[in-house]
Amino acid sequence: MHTAKIVVENVWKKFHVGERHDSLRDLLPALVRGIAGRRADSTGLDKDAFWALRGVSFEVGPGQALGVIGHNGAGKSTLLKLVTRILRPTIGRVAVSGRAGALIEIAAGFHPDLTGRENVFLQGAMMGMPTADIRMRFDAIVDFAGVSEFIDTPIKRYSTGMSARLGFAIAVHLDPDVLVIDEVLSVGDMAFQERAFGRMRDIVRSGIPVVVVSHQLERITELCTEAVLLRRGEVVRAGTPAECVRAYVEGEVPAAQARSEHRLGRMVIHSFKAEGDGRVVSGHRALVRLAGRVDEGEAPPRRFDLAFRVRRMESGQTVYSSHSKLAGVVLERPGPFSFSVDLQMNVPAGLYSVESWVCDADRDAVLGDGPATHLQVEEGAPFGYNVQLNALMGLS
Amino acid sequence: MTTSLDVPSAAAATPTSLVGDFRESVADVWAHRELLVQLAKRDIKLRYKQSVMGFAWAILMPLMVVFAGLVVRLAMAYVGGQPLSSSAMGGVVVKALPWAFFVGAVGFASTTLVGNANLVSKVFFPREVLPLAALLTQSFDTLVGAAALALVIPLMGARLSFALLWIVPLSALFFLLTTAICLFLACSNLFFRDVKYLVQVFLTFGIFFTPVFFDASMLGQRWGPLLMLNPIAPLLEGFRVAVMRGHNLLYPLQIVEKGKLVELWIPGSLLWSTACALVGVLLATATFRRLQYLFAEYI
Repeated sequence: MHTAKIVVENVWKKFHVGERHDSLRDLLPALVRGIAGRRADSTGLDKDAFWALRGVSFEVGPGQALGVIGHNGAGKSTLLKLVTRILRPTIGRVAVSGRAGALIEIAAGFHPDLTGRENVFLQGAMMGMPTADIRMRFDAIVDFAGVSEFIDTPIKRYSTGMSARLGFAIAVHLDPDVLVIDEVLSVGDMAFQERAFGRMRDIVRSGIPVVVVSHQLERITELCTEAVLLRRGEVVRAGTPAECVRAYVEGEVPAAQARSEHRLGRMVIHSFKAEGDGRVVSGHRALVRLAGRVDEGEAPPRRFDLAFRVRRMESGQTVYSSHSKLAGVVLERPGPFSFSVDLQMNVPAGLYSVESWVCDADRDAVLGDGPATHLQVEEGAPFGYNVQLNALMGLS
Repeated sequence: MTTSLDVPSAAAATPTSLVGDFRESVADVWAHRELLVQLAKRDIKLRYKQSVMGFAWAILMPLMVVFAGLVVRLAMAYVGGQPLSSSAMGGVVVKALPWAFFVGAVGFASTTLVGNANLVSKVFFPREVLPLAALLTQSFDTLVGAAALALVIPLMGARLSFALLWIVPLSALFFLLTTAICLFLACSNLFFRDVKYLVQVFLTFGIFFTPVFFDASMLGQRWGPLLMLNPIAPLLEGFRVAVMRGHNLLYPLQIVEKGKLVELWIPGSLLWSTACALVGVLLATATFRRLQYLFAEYI
């Protein structure tokens, strides 16, 4: 029975912005300033310091898997580095019983000039594994990673996917007492991801406490037993993964959407919604409707062009964008309108935002941002990796 | 930025003693001894992997120092109008090897933390392992060199005697002293990259303040003992006196040369080196221990 446990108790972590005196030349003036008595203010922060984590507490015991979600820069990686003892908290306590197998960055310890075999032993030793144990599990590791033909080739000749697979295989085969994983559920191809995910689930089931950071929200909900949502270094929500994911998604939607009406010149947009609660299966069509009106008057612009884009939340990457003008739809007559965008969601599962903005159709100038909404794309039939949204647009 | 939050006062650091730090450090490194070996193996493999001469460098590097020393001694002998004795040459050879070890170890070890920045910021293990692995790698080179030296040195007048056993404690002390310096430099180079350049200057000038090419006794009664304040000096002189003269280092050694009394060995100087090595290691490990949690932040 596993008794390992991760305890994080009221942890605060302060960081400094920019380089701190990296050379003696910078140190000397800083020392003089320090002696002259220019101290930090009452909050304990210098002007170039900030709290990356503020009063974070949680416990992960046997059989529990904690998912940590939040924006980039919310403090997720800092938290993991504290748990793996790479960093020490400024305030508070982090206690981990047993050996932590950590995948902060897969393959970080690999040396490009050494062969795969040599690197397995080196990486294993870095995780505190006796050589004899590594030797025992060596074949399993190589099999899992699927690199047996190249095991005696220097890592520098490996593809990124191959070394990532090998790194993952080492970490999950070394029987850590607790496992800490940062954004590595997305390594390798689909088949490997499935295998990796299966292995992770086995690890959780076997009772090893696990902490996972991932932007793949659906993976978190599937794998974890609980979750915390971090925002600017604070836990803003702790509970079941589903709850936290929902809170994250709701908090994600840009503040612009909270406004009931968007006025851009004579154009007013009062709603922008995806049909069916914004849930869609990968490969299926999603319908997003934008409703508004064009007011009477002579104020320019004369003709409006509606534009929108689809962004993958996980990466922030825009996967599609288009203009109504391209579909032959330009708004000029006063009166209410309802505009629909029919998207073929040929994209991987995940959370997407659909954002709108309005342009002057004659001068191609942007007038301003409109509302945004989100689409939760769920796993469906494989779609062959051709990200294709082929929007059908029209007034309805 | 929100600063209105209640910030608890910083937790008091648990006070630990120097010896406590040292003990903790040794225990941690011992627990990761296999990593140490793996890293040293990696370094040894990599150091010679893409060089044409391969392992020959392990012998060539100290050999270069030996040759430089011999050239200096020849010049000195020429100016002084005395022939260079083979035992004097032997003395240079015996001291050149540990000096080459020192230069190599300090040079490599002081940049190990920065050189392995990806490991330091992404993987947790006792960070002492990195400079120590560099020391082990250098020791391996030196052992290869020592094996070659063992073949040459009898031709230069070294005698087989019980005094040769002194090599063991002298080497241990030398290793300890080098470890202290390496740990300290590796850690300070992480915070101040200037250290790398200072180390080069320090090593370049060090040869003038260390009796490698010359003997401390050649500086006379006044300056000789002053030179022995350099903690490396007594160890190097100890190597020479023990190997070339078969002298037991527990007793002083004085000879009369040209009507003048020359002190070749003062046992007390070894105590000084020992004290420096022990205090150095304690201070260096404590510094390293206390700062290692900042490494990932500052690297």
